[in-house]
Amino acid sequence: MIIDHPLLGPRDAAEFVILGDASLIDRPDWQAEDAAQQFHDYLHLRDNPAGEHRELWFHEQGDRSWLVVTRNTLTHEVLKVELARDVAVARGRDR
Amino acid sequence: MSGPFRLGPPADGGGAIDRSRSLAFRFEGRRLTGYPGDTLASALLANGVRLVGRSFKYHRPRGVFTAGSEEPSALVELRSGAHREPNTRATVAELFDGLEAFGQNYRGSLRFDLLAANDLLAPFLSAGFYYKTFMWPKSFWEKVYEPAIRASAGLGRLSGAADPDSYDKGFLHCDLLVIGAGPAGLAAALAAGRSGARVILADEDFVMGGRLNAETHEVGGRAGAAWAAAAVRELASMDRVRLLPRTTAVGAWDHGVYAALERRTDHLADAGGKPRQVLWRIYSRRAILAAGATERPIAFGGNDRPGAMLAGAVRAYANRFAVAGGRRVGLFVNNDDGWRTAADLAAKGVEVAAVIDVRDRAPLADLPGARIRMGERVAATWGRGGVKGVELATGERIALDCLAVSGGWNPNVHLTCHQGGKPAWRDDIAAFVPGGRLPPGMAVAGAAGGALTTAAALAEGHAAAAAALGDLGIAAATGDPPGASDEAVEVSPFWHVRESRGRAWLDLQNDVTVKDVVQAHREGFRSVEHLKRYTTLGMATDQGKTANVGALAVMAEQTGKTIAETGTTVFRPPYTPVPIAAFAGRARGRDFQPTRLTPSHDWAAARGAVFIEAGLWLRAQWFPRPGETHWRQSVDREVLQTRASVGICDVTTLGKIDIQGRDAAEFLNRVYANGFAKLPVGKVRYGLMLREDGICYDDGTTARLGENRFVMTTTTANAVLVFRNLEFARQCLWPGLDVHLISVTEQWAQFAVAGPYSRELLGRIVDPHHNISNEAFPFMACAEVSVCGGTPARLFRISFSGELAYEVAVPARYGESLMGALLAAGEDYGAVAYGTEALGVMRVEKGHAAGPELIGQTTARMLGMQRMVSKKKDCIGNVLSERPEMNREDGLELMGFRPVDRADELAPGAHFLAPGAEATMANDEGWMSSVAWSPSLGHSIGLGFIRNGHARIGETVRAWDAVRGRDVPVEIVSAHFLDPQGERLRG
Amino acid sequence: MADVALEARLPLGGYAETFGSVSLAEVTGLTLVSAAVPNGGDAAFAVALAGGFGAARPATGGSTAGDRYGARILGMQPDQLFILFEPPDPDRAAETVSDALGPAAYVTDQSDGWAMLRIAGAGVRAALERLCMLDLDAAAFPEGRVTRTVMEHLSVVILRDGPDSFLLLTPRSSARSFLHAVEVSIANTAG
Repeated sequence: MIIDHPLLGPRDAAEFVILGDASLIDRPDWQAEDAAQQFHDYLHLRDNPAGEHRELWFHEQGDRSWLVVTRNTLTHEVLKVELARDVAVARGRDR
Repeated sequence: MSGPFRLGPPADGGGAIDRSRSLAFRFEGRRLTGYPGDTLASALLANGVRLVGRSFKYHRPRGVFTAGSEEPSALVELRSGAHREPNTRATVAELFDGLEAFGQNYRGSLRFDLLAANDLLAPFLSAGFYYKTFMWPKSFWEKVYEPAIRASAGLGRLSGAADPDSYDKGFLHCDLLVIGAGPAGLAAALAAGRSGARVILADEDFVMGGRLNAETHEVGGRAGAAWAAAAVRELASMDRVRLLPRTTAVGAWDHGVYAALERRTDHLADAGGKPRQVLWRIYSRRAILAAGATERPIAFGGNDRPGAMLAGAVRAYANRFAVAGGRRVGLFVNNDDGWRTAADLAAKGVEVAAVIDVRDRAPLADLPGARIRMGERVAATWGRGGVKGVELATGERIALDCLAVSGGWNPNVHLTCHQGGKPAWRDDIAAFVPGGRLPPGMAVAGAAGGALTTAAALAEGHAAAAAALGDLGIAAATGDPPGASDEAVEVSPFWHVRESRGRAWLDLQNDVTVKDVVQAHREGFRSVEHLKRYTTLGMATDQGKTANVGALAVMAEQTGKTIAETGTTVFRPPYTPVPIAAFAGRARGRDFQPTRLTPSHDWAAARGAVFIEAGLWLRAQWFPRPGETHWRQSVDREVLQTRASVGICDVTTLGKIDIQGRDAAEFLNRVYANGFAKLPVGKVRYGLMLREDGICYDDGTTARLGENRFVMTTTTANAVLVFRNLEFARQCLWPGLDVHLISVTEQWAQFAVAGPYSRELLGRIVDPHHNISNEAFPFMACAEVSVCGGTPARLFRISFSGELAYEVAVPARYGESLMGALLAAGEDYGAVAYGTEALGVMRVEKGHAAGPELIGQTTARMLGMQRMVSKKKDCIGNVLSERPEMNREDGLELMGFRPVDRADELAPGAHFLAPGAEATMANDEGWMSSVAWSPSLGHSIGLGFIRNGHARIGETVRAWDAVRGRDVPVEIVSAHFLDPQGERLRG
Repeated sequence: MADVALEARLPLGGYAETFGSVSLAEVTGLTLVSAAVPNGGDAAFAVALAGGFGAARPATGGSTAGDRYGARILGMQPDQLFILFEPPDPDRAAETVSDALGPAAYVTDQSDGWAMLRIAGAGVRAALERLCMLDLDAAAFPEGRVTRTVMEHLSVVILRDGPDSFLLLTPRSSARSFLHAVEVSIANTAG
C-alpha cells in the first residue's frame, strides 16, 4: 500500500502507523453537560463503511505528520491525503 | 551426444544448449550427463529417464509432464545434506555440474516402491476418504491413522537441518514492470525501454523469450528465438532497463506493488556466499502482465503414465533442448496447436506414430507414416513404468512410447485476480481470460489475455506499453512491433474421455480423478470452493495449474451448468511456491531484529554482566561476582549494598522527550492526569497518563528545565507509543498550542545513583560550583549542571528505589566513561552496579507500580492515585475516568502481601481467595501482580490487587496458584514494605 | 573529587571500511542540533537562519547549505529542522545554534542521539536496494534530498550528498545492528 504524502510524495505504508477513524479529531468538550455520553460515543462508536473512509495515519518513520487518508475500503484506492493538522484547524480545533 | 534421446544437431543449430561442454549430474545416484542450457527435466529425458517420482497418494509412477513452472509430477529432492530442497520441479531446475537429485515419495526404491500397494487400495482412498474412513475408534486418529497416513502420503523430505543458505529481500522501483519475457513482454519492454522509461522485465526462466524459445515461429523475418535473443541484448544495453531473469512475479498487491522471487544462485554449484534467492518488493507505476498461457491436458484412462506429456512440452523439449520425448510419439489433441508438435517432431526426424484429434474435421497436416484419427479419442494407455501404447475408444491399439496431449491453452490470469478480479470465460478459445477488474495500473498483453498467436502477442505487448507510456506522460519512441505470422489456434472444448474405464487423472500432484469430482458432486459438494477442498483438487504445490479448468468442466457437466456459470476458485499469491526462507530473508538468528545497547553496555559486558532483552534493548540484569553461583546471590548483594551504601544503574532506556514551546506547560497539563501548569522551573514531578477511556497507561517524571522547556520520561516499553500520542494531541487535538517535541532518549545517557551515600558520591562527580546539598537541591529538584570538570549534565533528584537517590544524565558519548567514573568515585563506599533485577526488587519493596501493574485495566483508584486525577482541568482520560464502575468503593486496590509463614515463596499470577473458599470465579478477590524475594526483609513479598484492600490490612487470604499448584496464606499489608513515610528519599 | 575528565566515545568507534567499489565510514566532526519553529514564527525563523547560518529554510524533505560552520539544514518535519554542522566546541553544540538563532527557534541537542555513516561508491545503489524502500533514482531522490525512513526495523535519516554518496543517520543505541545490516547489504551485492 502506498500513501501519497502531501509533503513527501508516495511512501510505503510500512513507514506509517494507523490509528483509525478520523473522527477522533473531534474530541468533545469536557465541560459539556453530557460530556460522559459524548466521550463514550467519541471513543467507542465508529462507522465501518464499505466504501469511502477517512482514517488517521501517523508517518512515524517519516516526517512525524499525522495524516487524514481518505480511502475506499472496498477497492483500497487512496482518494485523498491531507495533513491532519490542517483538517483539525479547518474543523475548528485550536487551543 | 549426451543421452540416447538427444537429437543430433541439424543444420540450423539444434536447440538452446551448449554442446561444447557437458555437465555431469546424478539422479537417484546414477551418473548422467547433460549440457549447459538444460533443465534437470530435459537432461533426464535426454538420458531416457522417464520415471522421476511417485505420486502423492497412490504412489503411482510419474514422469515429466510439462516443460515449465506448472509441472505437477516431476518433483524431486534437489541437492544433498542440509542443502536438500524437496518438491523442486525438475522442469525449472537449471542443470549445473555436480547437481544431485532424487525422486521422492517412495519407500525402498523409486522403481519398486513398497508403498505402490496404496494404488490397490484406491477404492478406499477416493475423495474425502479421510473424512469418512478413519473415524472409528476415535482414539485411533492420533495414534494410528494420522501417523500411518503421514508416513505413506506426502511429498519430499526436509533435510531436518538448519538451512545453510542465505536469503535476502530488496526494493525496486520502475515506471513499467513487465511480467514475462515472451513475445508480448519483449515487445512491451522494447517499446518502453526505447522511450527512456524505467523498465523492469522479469521472467521466471533462465533464458528470456518465453514460447519463442520453444517454437519454430519466425519473428521479424528470423527465427523467434534469435529475435528474442537480440531483443534481450538490446534491452540489456539500456541504462534504464533492468532485466530480471530467473525471477517470478508471485503476487500483485495494492497500488502497483508486486512481489517477485529472484533465484540468484540456484543454478550454481556454489553460491559463493551470496544469497541464494532475493524476494523483491517492486514498486511500479504501471505493469504489463505478459505471463503467457499454460497448456492443459485431456483426462483419460491412465493419462498419468510417464511418457504422457503435454504437447507443447514435447515440442519445447525438441525445439529448445534438442530432446525427443520418445522414439514413437503420438498426439492426442482437441486443437490446432497440438498439430505443431507433430510437424516439428517430424521435421526433426522423430517418428510420429499417430495423431488422434477429437474434432471430426480434415487433418491439418499430411504426416507420412502416422495414423491420423479424426473424431476419435484415446481411452487408455498401457505400459508398466511408462507408456508403451494407447487404446482408442474404438478399441484400436497403437504402440508408442510418448503420448503428447493438448486440451488447449489457459491464459495465466493468476496475477489479475490478486486484487479481487474474477476471470471471465471466453467460448472462442474455451478458456478463462482476465475479468473486468484488473489490479489498478495493470494491463494484460499476449497469451495471458487470450491472444494466443505470436503476431497478436507482439502487437498487444507493443500497444500496452504505448498506453502505459501515455498514462505516465512519457513520449513513446516511434516504431512498430515486428511482424509474425498468425498461427491457427482453433480449439474445440474437450475435457475427458467418457469411454475410459480406468482412472482418468485431473490433478496429477494430488491424485484427483474425474471419478472423484463426480463423487464429490454426488455427495453434495457443488460449489467449486467445496469441490476443491473436498477432493483437494488444485491444493498441491502446483495449485492445479494444469488441473483446475478440466475439473471445473467435469463439475459443470455434472451440474448441467456452463463453465462460465460454474466459475473458478480464487487465485491467491504466490503464483509459484516461495520458500519460507525467502520470506524470512536475512531476518534469522541475530539478524531477526536489531539490538539496542545502553551506553554502559561494553562496560557491563566486560564485567560479566548477565543481560536480558527488554523490547529491543539489552539491559544488564545483574553483575555476578566471583563466588556467586546463583542469580539471587548477586541480586541480593546489589539490593543490600545499594540500600546500605550506594548503587548505580543504567536507566538510559527510559523514553525521554524534549518538550518546548510557549504552551508546553499547558500541553503537559492536558496529557497528564495530574496538574503540571504550576510546576516551578528546577522541579520534577511524577506524572500519570491515562488513555481517553480513563485507564492508566504510562507514568514517569517530567522536569521543568526552563519556563518553556520540559523533559519528560516515559517507561521503556511505552516510549514510542507516548511520543505518538503526544504528536496526535498536538497536531490533531490542540493545533493552536505552541508546543514542539523531539525524542532525546538516545541523546542522554542516564544513571540512577541510589542509596544513603549517593549525595556524597555525586559530590565527587558534580563540579563543585553546583550546590547539591539537601537544602539547595531537595527531593524532586532538577538542574542543568556540569560533571567531571565541565562535561554538561543534568541532575534530577528522583527515586525509584525508595532511597535517597538521583538520576544523572550526560550526552551519550560520555555515558560509558561516566559509569566507570561513578563506580570509581564510590569505591570507598563499596558502590555497586545494579541491574534490572535489583531495580525490580527495590521497586516492589517500595510498592511502586510498574509494567505488571499497568496492564490496560488499571484505574488511578486501583493504584491509590485517584486524588491525583484533577477534576479542574481538561486532560486526556479525565471525563471517562469518572465512570462509576471505575470508582467503586469496594474496587480492587494495590496492596502488599506477605506470606503468613515467612518461609513460603510467592508467585505472580496467583489469585486471592478467602480461607476455605472454593476456587471459583465468583470467589475470586483479585490477583498477585508482582513478587520479589526481599533481601531487606528476608522473605518473599508481593504486590497485587485485591477488593477493598486498604480496609482489610492485617487480614489473611490465600494466594491460590493453579498453574504451580500452590495455595499460600498471605497477609494483606501496605504496598510500601520499606520506609512508608518516605524519610529516606528526603534525607 | 573525580579529577579525570570523561572520555567521549563515537557510536561506531570511528568505523571505516572499503568493500570493492563501496566505502562505508562513520562520519566524525559533524554534530546535529534540531531547531523547531515556534507557531507563527516562520518569518522570524527565516531571518534568523539566514543571519545565523547563511542558509535558506528548506522544505520538508529537502536540505540547504549554509555558509557558516559548514552547515547543512535538513527539513525533517513541517515545524522541525536538523542543523548538521562543524561545531566550534562539541560540548556547546546546542548553544552555538541557540546563539545563532536566538528566540526564533526551540533548539535541542541531537548530536549524541545518532550515529552517522557515509556510504559511497559505484555499488552504493545496489547495496541500498537491499535495505531501503525509497526510490533513490536521481530523478526521484536528487542530491540534497533528505528524509527519515525505516531500514531493517530501524529509523534512518537518509541524505543524498553526492551522485553516489549518501549520509545515513541512525539511532545511537542500535547503530551496531544497523552497521551490520549495511555491511551485509554490501557483501550481498558486491562484485
